[in-house]
Amino acid sequence: MKRFSWKLPVWLTDYLGMAGALAILLAVFGFTAENFFSRSTFLIIADQVPDITILAVGMTFVLIIAGIDLSVGSVMGLSGTVVGALLVNAGQPVWLAVMAGVVVGFGCGLLNGLVTVRWSLPSFIVTLGMMEIARGAALRVTQSRTIYIPGYLDFITETRLLGISLPFLLAVGIVLLAQLVLSRTVFGRYMVAVGTNEEAVRLSGINPRPIKLVVFALSGLLAGLASIIQTARYQANPNNGQGVELQVIAAVVIGGTSLMGGRGSVISTFFGVLIISVLETGLAQANAQESTKRLITGAVIVAAVILDYYRQRIRHGKAG
Amino acid sequence: MVAQTFVQDFIEFITKGIQMMETKRSRLPAAGILFLGLMLGIPACARKTPSGPDKPVLALVMKSLANEFFKTMEEGARQHHQERASQYDLKVVGIKNEEDVSQQIKYVETLIAQKVDAIVIAPSDSKALVKVCKQAMEAGIVVVNIDNKLDAEVLASNGIKIPFVGPDNRKGARLAGDYLARRLQAGDAVAIIEGVPNAFNGIQRKLGFEEAMKASGMNIVSSQSGYWETAKANQVAAAILTSHPALKAILCANDSMALGAMAAVKAAGKTSDVHIVGFDNIEAVQTLLREGRILATVDQHGDKLAIYGIEYALDILKGQTTPADKETPVDLITAETLR
Repeated sequence: MKRFSWKLPVWLTDYLGMAGALAILLAVFGFTAENFFSRSTFLIIADQVPDITILAVGMTFVLIIAGIDLSVGSVMGLSGTVVGALLVNAGQPVWLAVMAGVVVGFGCGLLNGLVTVRWSLPSFIVTLGMMEIARGAALRVTQSRTIYIPGYLDFITETRLLGISLPFLLAVGIVLLAQLVLSRTVFGRYMVAVGTNEEAVRLSGINPRPIKLVVFALSGLLAGLASIIQTARYQANPNNGQGVELQVIAAVVIGGTSLMGGRGSVISTFFGVLIISVLETGLAQANAQESTKRLITGAVIVAAVILDYYRQRIRHGKAG
Repeated sequence: MVAQTFVQDFIEFITKGIQMMETKRSRLPAAGILFLGLMLGIPACARKTPSGPDKPVLALVMKSLANEFFKTMEEGARQHHQERASQYDLKVVGIKNEEDVSQQIKYVETLIAQKVDAIVIAPSDSKALVKVCKQAMEAGIVVVNIDNKLDAEVLASNGIKIPFVGPDNRKGARLAGDYLARRLQAGDAVAIIEGVPNAFNGIQRKLGFEEAMKASGMNIVSSQSGYWETAKANQVAAAILTSHPALKAILCANDSMALGAMAAVKAAGKTSDVHIVGFDNIEAVQTLLREGRILATVDQHGDKLAIYGIEYALDILKGQTTPADKETPVDLITAETLR
């Protein structure tokens, strides 16, 4: 327990660093974009982030165990089409469709985990395969057509508590819960251990396979959950979530989670998602050219990772 | 049927492979054989029964079949072929992503090698595909361009003419823009959400929207790309609505993006203040058009587009017509026309 007491302030400085970067970004757009500091800007950002945040939580865990999940965007797309097809084409009740969407996501994640663990394959290639499979299935389910969902899922986007939408509250809840799991449970410690040195974990008598399996299944489950929010907002389009995996990985890495595994924080990931979302919304409000948007987004990602490198050095300096 | 017995053999082969895998000793070679079988078997199973020598073989080269518009186009072509199976044979190929230009070039090269009689192509890039189309023509293949028009200058510099059969996207967008302008007052703020920045049809639609808005004296406050995607368009639309609270209309270069803009307008609580215009007339917007939540869209009859191209290619093969451009209809779709 004593070990924990010095660790907390370091965490705090980490969060402060992220919050500082976010504040700088907000200030820049406050000067360059029209009406940036308005209630509606923040409502927009709160509307844009929940699905990405939920995916990013799953991705944080996957990166911590030194894996990667390239299938989250496609799996989200597939789950959404299943929800749409059940609601509209099959006339099923909302609860069933929503459940089915989440279960499909979970199933895809479980399959990723099973294949990765059973044959000790790199998750990069397994989830790359799943990315294609899920997208193909999504196109098959919908015959490549967008399914319009008339009002069934409006309660998800329209329910607000104290002005904050249900998806945002859900996303924040998941972030906090996941951070607790990561830093306060045995499972969380095992994840970090597996990501740091899987062989050492195995030699110390802990089987890393179930841990990896659970992490991949969880990533799929969260993709299923994110799909419900996406579908409620954007209808069931089989092309939903294309390329989202890279956006999610960028957000997680900006948050300081290592692509090499063994290190990461869910709350920092949330800051990473916010930074990307503020950047995109701000650039659109500033009426930036398409080329400018991409140049700046790319530069911010690289800058954030360089910043993280120095943050780590300072931290290790302190600890050592 | 040769194909059927082959399928049976194939299934038996795979079953054997799996059985061999289950007996642990020979796992590795068995897995290898299984893989080999799959590689050889899948294309063989997919092979169609050979056709008579006198029927011309037409190849339809599409953009992404993951896109609803091209899927509709493909289905229209397949139905046309089923009804006239005695007249020609049809091959349909489509690339994975709309931007996958090199893949489409490879497909055309394959078709040249297969010596098809005609290629009806919706080019993913209006410049990059010209060279390979020239090669096809030099190999004696009739080439007809549909959907996305090949660049006139590049065609001229290569010294070839390829007939274009398709709609005038600019005219279509102008129709929708003019219809919208009647609901607005001169000086009103409007925004355009564009397609992928370098897409020819996207650029044409943008130009059509701009023409209509300028002609009626509207103020275009922002024009940004939504990359043809719902989520991206939603983000851009939401941002524009915030920086320009007086916005009266959003013109989207396709219907998927119109769905995203609609969600943004709804989230901002401005459903009754901001008009939305789309393009393509996809199934998902039908109800929304009737309810007036999307004001108008444009139908370029995707289901018939490939058919026009195919019939034109057949006419050229029969020597009934000399190659020239042919414009296909575009129609404005609103709540009134749906009634």
